[in-house]
Amino acid sequence: MLNPYQGLPAGRRRLLGVAAVAAVLLLWAALSGSGAVTPNKLPPPWDVAHALVELSWRSDPAGGGSSPLLLATLASLRRVALAGLLVIALGVPVGIAMGASPPVDAALSPLVDPFRSAPIVAVQPILVMWLGIDEAMKIAFLFLGAVVYLVPMVRDAIRAVPSSYYVSAIDIGATPFEAVRHALVPMALPRIADAIIVSVSVMWTYITVAEYINADTGLGQLIQNAKRFSAMNQVFAGIIVIIALALVTYFTLVAIRNRLFSWEATQ
Amino acid sequence: MSDATSDAASERGDVSVDLKAIVQEYPKADGTGVNRILDGVDLALTRPEIVMLLGPSGCGKSTLLRMMGGVRPHGVATPTSGTITIDGVPCTGAHDDAVMVFQRYANRPDLSTRENVAFPFRFGLWKRKVDPSTAAKRVEDMLAAVGLQDKAKLKPHQLSGGQNQRVALARALVLRPRILLMDEPFGALDAQTRDEMQTLLVRLHEEHPCLVVFVTHDVTEALRLGDRVVVLSAGPARIVDDFAIEEPRPRSTAWQRSTGATRLEERILNHLHAAGGRGQVRVSV
Repeated sequence: MLNPYQGLPAGRRRLLGVAAVAAVLLLWAALSGSGAVTPNKLPPPWDVAHALVELSWRSDPAGGGSSPLLLATLASLRRVALAGLLVIALGVPVGIAMGASPPVDAALSPLVDPFRSAPIVAVQPILVMWLGIDEAMKIAFLFLGAVVYLVPMVRDAIRAVPSSYYVSAIDIGATPFEAVRHALVPMALPRIADAIIVSVSVMWTYITVAEYINADTGLGQLIQNAKRFSAMNQVFAGIIVIIALALVTYFTLVAIRNRLFSWEATQ
Repeated sequence: MSDATSDAASERGDVSVDLKAIVQEYPKADGTGVNRILDGVDLALTRPEIVMLLGPSGCGKSTLLRMMGGVRPHGVATPTSGTITIDGVPCTGAHDDAVMVFQRYANRPDLSTRENVAFPFRFGLWKRKVDPSTAAKRVEDMLAAVGLQDKAKLKPHQLSGGQNQRVALARALVLRPRILLMDEPFGALDAQTRDEMQTLLVRLHEEHPCLVVFVTHDVTEALRLGDRVVVLSAGPARIVDDFAIEEPRPRSTAWQRSTGATRLEERILNHLHAAGGRGQVRVSV
């Protein structure tokens, strides 16, 4: 049993995973259903399920209806997507420049590295002062939270490419720029993709914080609102949706990455 | 220069590389002075032949080779003193007369064999010199020459070590270099594959004559391939012997076991022992 190199059959692996989730659900149901923990601290799973249904579709007395959950999800997705595009557009080139050029790295490292362990949440009031309380602030916050992870990872991805690729490109006539462009960057792309995936995950963890201030819509706002009305089942429902979205984006991005860089598994 | 004239020049293989009083020193890691690697090397290479630079491992052969390519990947100025001229022109930086092939073939794992051979044509230097249709034709010709035309679509991980080294060799020769610099290119291959690659190199050299400077620490390889063998001592390296081998290639195993060849082998080993000795050489027959 204690042999990390002995693989587990896929079926057994899945079974153990499902069993663990089921055990937690059972424990949760037992604790809240028996009345051992009050519903305003831990709502029973069926209450949360009910909240999910209720938030998914709210009918209108006039005949129509709307889905607060869908609207909130779309708003949050839009913010993560916009901030993600910014992170990639600005962070990847900066990371590549730092990885490829020691002087650029020496100049930018002191500006980037400390922020990996800095409390980004504490920066939010500053962003409010600078950018106000609207969309720009929220997207800037998500961007900052993720880019400080992305840049050093992209730099390390470039540095991890064996020097022989750079040297041999130079030897067959590449300029240093061409050697970086045609030898280092393509070789680093799988790890750069990993950095992007991590950054997107980080953004999902920050989404509620980003949407706390002046929240008009979004999953963070939905949770915040539910908390205000002590609707714990809705708080739980919101958290579950965020986790689900984070997982879906994670697995989608991993699938795209593995498809694009299938050669990497052979290295 | 148009492709036609450069082709004509490379067919003749005319080239002259002149090294005079080459000294190379590298600063010591602890900052207490310098290590002398090369100690006054004079060498004139004037014909499109295969010149073997033979010496113990770590004696400065690769440094000498890189100098001829004008490449200094580690940022230290080379040479410390002395001059290198190519066709009478001082060589002070990277130039496109020479192309290098290493033991590490550095084929891009995401590209096919054909794309790897065509790789240099992505660089501005070769884009300016060779038009796309000529480049494409050269790539196909070179794939056939190294026997990889039916592997053109495969990726490096689908090829053996020897086949990957063929890709690297094709990628260098597709540029029709006047000088081909090879740094122990077959050092990591098994005996049989090394044998095949040596045979291939001899054939390609006959088809496209150019000056090949081939660094090795393998005495047998030097005797098998070289028109000329230049023996370097352990560092700081000096030239301790320099002789021609008249025997035509391909050289048979019978010749390699002949008295003449054995004498050459002994002569090389004696020189290396006399020059004193750190570093290793290999004799593989």
